Amino acid sequence: MSTPGPERVPSSVKVTKTSGQGKPPAGGSSSTKPGSSSTKPGAKKPGAKGGKGRKPVAPVKVSGGRNWGPIAVAGAVVLVAVGIIGYGVFAAVQGSKGWEEKLNAISGVVDYRAQKNAAIDARDHKEGTQTYVTSPPVGGAHNSVWQNCMGDVYAQPIANEHAVHSLEHGAVWVTYKQGLAADQVAVLQKKVEGQDYMFMSPYAGLDKNVSVQVWGYQYKTDDVNDSKIDDFIKDARLNASMEPGAACSSGNTTTGPLQAAATTPGMTSGS
Amino acid sequence: MPVTTDPAGAATAVAAPADRRTRSWLVVAVLVLGLALGVGAGLLIPRFTHPGDDSVEAGFLRDMSTHHAQAVEMSMLAHANSTNPRIVTLAGDIALTQHGQIGYMQAWLRDWGLSPTSSQEPMAWMPGSAGSVVNGLMPGMATPAQLAELRKATGNDLDVQFLTLMRAHHLGGIHMAQEIIQLSDDKDVTWLAQTMVSGQQSELGLIDSLLQQLQPK
Repeated sequence: MSTPGPERVPSSVKVTKTSGQGKPPAGGSSSTKPGSSSTKPGAKKPGAKGGKGRKPVAPVKVSGGRNWGPIAVAGAVVLVAVGIIGYGVFAAVQGSKGWEEKLNAISGVVDYRAQKNAAIDARDHKEGTQTYVTSPPVGGAHNSVWQNCMGDVYAQPIANEHAVHSLEHGAVWVTYKQGLAADQVAVLQKKVEGQDYMFMSPYAGLDKNVSVQVWGYQYKTDDVNDSKIDDFIKDARLNASMEPGAACSSGNTTTGPLQAAATTPGMTSGS
Repeated sequence: MPVTTDPAGAATAVAAPADRRTRSWLVVAVLVLGLALGVGAGLLIPRFTHPGDDSVEAGFLRDMSTHHAQAVEMSMLAHANSTNPRIVTLAGDIALTQHGQIGYMQAWLRDWGLSPTSSQEPMAWMPGSAGSVVNGLMPGMATPAQLAELRKATGNDLDVQFLTLMRAHHLGGIHMAQEIIQLSDDKDVTWLAQTMVSGQQSELGLIDSLLQQLQPK
């Protein structure tokens, strides 16, 4: 855009200089262009708008008030720009809100990561039975085999020692009070099946009907239709992973408590 | 030229010192405006150039991650339990490739500032997909019962089951990948989808030839 403009102007000027002197009629026609263009603004403005309209404006400008126009325009433009930018910043900040922040905004969610409890933060792989400070557990030392969390729906309680390892991999563990009515279990099951980084099991001695947990966060409710369960899953699933890229497959698929032997049949695929 | 501007500048300076003040204010205002527009553009342009939270690209990346994860699951079972070296190799190839592709897909979502999860139903990004999701399972995905069978299977039975399930899984995956190639103009997403189509189509050829060898008795 900028290059053809300057090129055209000097070329037309050169033409008028060389040919204009030699040929008066040609030079006269070309010289009328700059002449007419310079006279046009002067002639047109008073001509088009009328002498009455133009003349009162000029004295007002001279008297001192004439600068308010551009200032008002500039001010308005700046205000609009600041508004646009303000919205942009707001949207950017809102959009980049971390999943932790969203999770903590759900009332009732307990943030165990904030407690800096060494027993919960421990990520050691230890074989055999482990003790956990919360029920159900939300973190801590666990077995090297994880529980398969490919949307698996376990009909019986599973071992904490495997389940905690799945939490470390970023899965949401949906637990419900053992003996919960089948139609309510079905509601929970719909949230889990077919979805990787999700698994579900009954939990003995649960103090609420439902408890959902990821590594370091937990939400308990008595209502299987509580929409906060869905919010929790949406904000925490995968995001809460302590090992991004770790899989939910190749895990243990058996139920029941840890078996006495350190290496149990049925868990071989996961080790 | 300098001769003509000097009297003009002197005239304005003498005539109206207030003009200079307002002019400098205008310059400041223009600078502030330019800076503000620049910052605003810097903040907003990435949001316009990356697919959004409810885009077909984000839907595809999320769903294909889940779809791939099951292929990894089945392949790892076959890789661990099969005694046929050709099955062990094929299963290892599928598991590593698709787990790597999950990494691409998850990283792009993160790059775009999007969550790996959404409240949308599986396949919602794909037009006319209503009814294609059964019990939360996308096209080609094995049922929990089929996976339980695969876990228990051994020998030739395991190999045939794996090939049969993976054949259906690839067909469903290729269908989804072809759909996003149609719907999207994001060059990264369509590139990866294209490699899924070509890679899985060639694997289908191998699966079919292996099935022919192993199935008839």
